[in-house]
Amino acid sequence: MPPVPEDEDAVDARRVLAGDVAAFGGIVRRWQGRLINLAWRFSRDRASAEDMAQEAFVKAFRALHTFRGESAFSTWLTAIAINVYRSWLRDRAPLPAAGDVNDLILMRARSAAPDALAGLEEHERAEAVRQAVLTLPPRYREPIVLFYFQEMDVSETARILGIPEGTLKARLHRGRELLRRKAEASRASRAPRAPRDE
Amino acid sequence: MSDIDDLDRILLSEEPLTPSSGFAAAVMESVREVAAEPPPLAFPWARFAAGAIACAIGAAASVAVIAGVDWAALGDTFAPLQAAGPDLGYAAAAVAASLAVVRLPRLRRV
Repeated sequence: MPPVPEDEDAVDARRVLAGDVAAFGGIVRRWQGRLINLAWRFSRDRASAEDMAQEAFVKAFRALHTFRGESAFSTWLTAIAINVYRSWLRDRAPLPAAGDVNDLILMRARSAAPDALAGLEEHERAEAVRQAVLTLPPRYREPIVLFYFQEMDVSETARILGIPEGTLKARLHRGRELLRRKAEASRASRAPRAPRDE
Repeated sequence: MSDIDDLDRILLSEEPLTPSSGFAAAVMESVREVAAEPPPLAFPWARFAAGAIACAIGAAASVAVIAGVDWAALGDTFAPLQAAGPDLGYAAAAVAASLAVVRLPRLRRV
């Protein structure tokens, strides 16, 4: 996603606040990809991601008068989106447990043709890790998702989450440890078992 | 945070999702609906101020009245009532007991 010039957002925000609602369309067009992709990382479901992003845009529209230009528009908008996604996930059904996700992936991989299995393995393993992120407690899930979404930019991630960098680093460390443990457990469950004596 | 390991590689390499064609239009429709909503009612500061001033005047007046009461004379006024104190107490207790009985739920027949 290419960076968006900040002044375009400031100009559109001013126009919206002056009563030109259509000017918000410019903000939506520029930021829809970012908000949908961030929501996707929290939900892994396309329809939910678009619903979440839409809710975030509406919330941003309502709160546009609070944007003072002290932080970058992207920081302000992403912070709003994170709050919306957090509430959205809290109000919806709980996410599947890591074990369930791994079982599901394993079942799908086993049902695939044997020659396709090798190609699927890497993709499925990566997807299992991404799904495992969703099973982390929110205090670790949000920093992990946002940190990688921000391409490992610690200071911007901390600004968006409104926490000190040290706290963010501690949560990232703990979150990654939890993820590694989940990945190891997943690998162990996939390891071929010794044939049983008949 | 500089060493890129397998976990970092996986979490960094997400395929970007393209918004569906009608997404922006759907958002703008929602935004227009929000914009068309009547503005929220403003807090009635004028009425609140009038109420607060009335309360303050009432409190000041009460203080002035209480300060002006001759408590000794008041004692003389209510002296006959003091003599009838026990009887009044019994009457009050009887009224309270009656009210309590009336308020008790009736026993259901089995």
